[in-house]
Amino acid sequence: MYQLKAVEKKFPGVHALKSVDFEIKRGEIVGLVGENGAGKSTLMKVIYGAYQPDGGTVMIDGKAVRFQNPRQAMEKGIGMVFQEQSLIPNLTVMENIFLGYEQQFVRLGVINWKAMSAAASRQLAKVKLDIDPATVTSALSFAQRQLVELAKVLTLEERVDGDLVILLDEPTSVLAEDEVKMLFAIVRELTKRASFIFVSHRMDEVMQLSDRIYVMKDGAVVDVVPQGGATVEQIQHKMVGRNVDREYYREQRQKPYDASKVLLRMDGVSLPGRIKDISLKLHAGEVLCLVGTEGSGREAILRTIYGMRTPVAGTLQIKGQAVASFNPQAAVSAGVGYVPRERKIEGIVAGMNVFENMTLSQMGRYSRAGVLNVTAERALARDWIAKLSIKAHSELADCGNLSGGNQQKVVLSKWRSGGSDIMLLDHPTRGLDIGAKEDVYEMIRDMSDDGVGVILVADTLEEAIGLSHSIIVLKDGAIQQRFDCLPGAKPTLFDLLHYMI
Amino acid sequence: MDLQRLKPHLPWITLIVLVVFVGITDSNFLKPANLLELAGDIVPLFIMALGLTFAIYIGGIDLSAQSMANMITVVASVYLASLGLWVAVLCVLLGFGLGLLSGFVTTRLFVPSFISTLAVGGVCFSVAQWLSGNRALNMDAEQRNALFGWMIGRTGIIPNELFIAAGLLALCLFIERRTTLGRALKAVGAGEMAAAASGLNVTRYKMLAFAISGALAAVAGLLFSVKLSGGAPTIANGFLLPAIVAVLVGGTPLTGGVGGVLNTAIGTLIVAVIRASMLYFGVQATQQQMVFGLVLIAAIALTIDRSKLRTVK
Repeated sequence: MYQLKAVEKKFPGVHALKSVDFEIKRGEIVGLVGENGAGKSTLMKVIYGAYQPDGGTVMIDGKAVRFQNPRQAMEKGIGMVFQEQSLIPNLTVMENIFLGYEQQFVRLGVINWKAMSAAASRQLAKVKLDIDPATVTSALSFAQRQLVELAKVLTLEERVDGDLVILLDEPTSVLAEDEVKMLFAIVRELTKRASFIFVSHRMDEVMQLSDRIYVMKDGAVVDVVPQGGATVEQIQHKMVGRNVDREYYREQRQKPYDASKVLLRMDGVSLPGRIKDISLKLHAGEVLCLVGTEGSGREAILRTIYGMRTPVAGTLQIKGQAVASFNPQAAVSAGVGYVPRERKIEGIVAGMNVFENMTLSQMGRYSRAGVLNVTAERALARDWIAKLSIKAHSELADCGNLSGGNQQKVVLSKWRSGGSDIMLLDHPTRGLDIGAKEDVYEMIRDMSDDGVGVILVADTLEEAIGLSHSIIVLKDGAIQQRFDCLPGAKPTLFDLLHYMI
Repeated sequence: MDLQRLKPHLPWITLIVLVVFVGITDSNFLKPANLLELAGDIVPLFIMALGLTFAIYIGGIDLSAQSMANMITVVASVYLASLGLWVAVLCVLLGFGLGLLSGFVTTRLFVPSFISTLAVGGVCFSVAQWLSGNRALNMDAEQRNALFGWMIGRTGIIPNELFIAAGLLALCLFIERRTTLGRALKAVGAGEMAAAASGLNVTRYKMLAFAISGALAAVAGLLFSVKLSGGAPTIANGFLLPAIVAVLVGGTPLTGGVGGVLNTAIGTLIVAVIRASMLYFGVQATQQQMVFGLVLIAAIALTIDRSKLRTVK
């Protein structure tokens, strides 16, 4: 009943959707899987009307439609349950449920709260959530908020004549096991009211819940798998286009690190509300992975080391020197390099060219008395463009127009050319295609060979396990467990998940 | 050719179109003597716009520039007799220091620059009123000519102000294109988060941008008071709007990061031509700010980078 035909979407430097065909029938649960950057979120945004496709058609019951914005899509029965929850925390549950649709309860310009409360209770009953609709949303648990979000989308049922399609974006990523089971039971029951598109990283869950699974890779649908039609490994193979194995993560290049040389040492470091009592050591040639859910403190640790946050307790030593003042300038001069998760916002400066970006962290080295030596800067950039085979027409190309992988290479060469030997990598492969990911893995192994210590927050657990020498699992800002990851004797996904949630 | 590719070239195309248009309607306009005089007259405004460019280039604004210039005309008139040539140093230091103060309030106290500079501007205005006793002051003509006469004379047919303007433009262009300061300001304007994550001391560079803006506003005020041989707390009123217009129509958007001082030079010439043409078309002086206000709105709407804005309040 809902159909996409040959849908195309292009962004500067990226072909995000390549002739995507997609179909969902009444009451069906369709899974959508793919690596980060495969085009899942773009596809979802096209479906719920946040993006307009550049080509192809969107059809509902055989009729072509075009949405200018999410509200128009909602009026046709397409709702989205956001991963980053879209509820406003200081409003009550019922206000959130009917946000933007209060008019139905208004008499003489005044809202009839009783009527709204009763209507909200009916919605909450659909998702089997027994709470007072007048509760302030921030008082709810994460799982409860997820259900409120679902109830909010289900109000479409009364407003819209046709069928409902509801998108669930990573709904289970921070839920505990029994909460996941409950959510799945509710979703299955709701299939008599709506069809669902289920997006998740947890392959086992997608396979368990979905009637069919769309597998995406590099902006295209590479396969549609019926329930029970393939194993987890087979689907993963389709997602990546090759076996996700030890070779993919360059495990054969993983060499033991130099345990005698401690580059960085944290003792009892705390940041209120973010991390508590963190102690860790990073050695030369080591890849240390921080693993945990969103908000578990991974980013706070990186930002503390980089001097963007000042801890209230504990000490940080970089190469034997205790850090006294926490600021990025001091961290950079101590040899720390930071590859932030938000590449387009914090990684590169769009509007500046390749050489300007590369020397941004080390202008002192390319200037005398504040006057830049542009010739030397350009030579450096040409050198690294060749070394990492960065696809840019020259060192004068605007970094904003490069593809994600090439932008990331510019960010990495910014630090590597400056001689940083402690590298903080936050989701370095986010949004990159497979080839670019492998380039990054290759670079991480190169860094280890050069004696660089790497602290990595990986994009997926598989990536964390594949790349690391050691893994630290975090939960609610505290260290739960530490794993050694010798090649051939690595912990499993389950080992890690157990401590994460 | 699409609009995006055309955008960087719009300022000089606008300038040429305007010059040709006014030149056709008024045959005297294109005479070299007239053009030189027009250019010479706009120099104090240009210097103020030059400074403003730095504040706008980093994505801020400096609303104190006009009050700063006002105050400096008073300071220069009052202290010329006792300090002599040193009064120039005092003026520039004062502008630089008050600019730093705006920068400090903006970066350390997290007050948006349009408010912090408005407040500092209020202080400047009040200082000017207090120092002058709210009267127009005159410089001693002889002393002015002896010490600062070189600023306003002519070399051949070329007004000396133009040499000052050219010198300052060259200096600012050098700072913008060839120094670590200029590069850092560009990075802050184009991507402040990335600049901070690259280990740049963003706070310091932002404060410097406001300080440069203040210092150049002070130079503008000094030149203006020398020209008029005196000062008053409202003498430079009417400068701020055209100066902001000059920066924006030159092609440095309020969101910062692109454009620069060369663009401001073109923008100032556009302002000069608009101003001259208003005279020919009989627009009264009292109505001029209306025109500049409308041009400003058009310029902002055309140049602003909406992708950088999440919400506007």
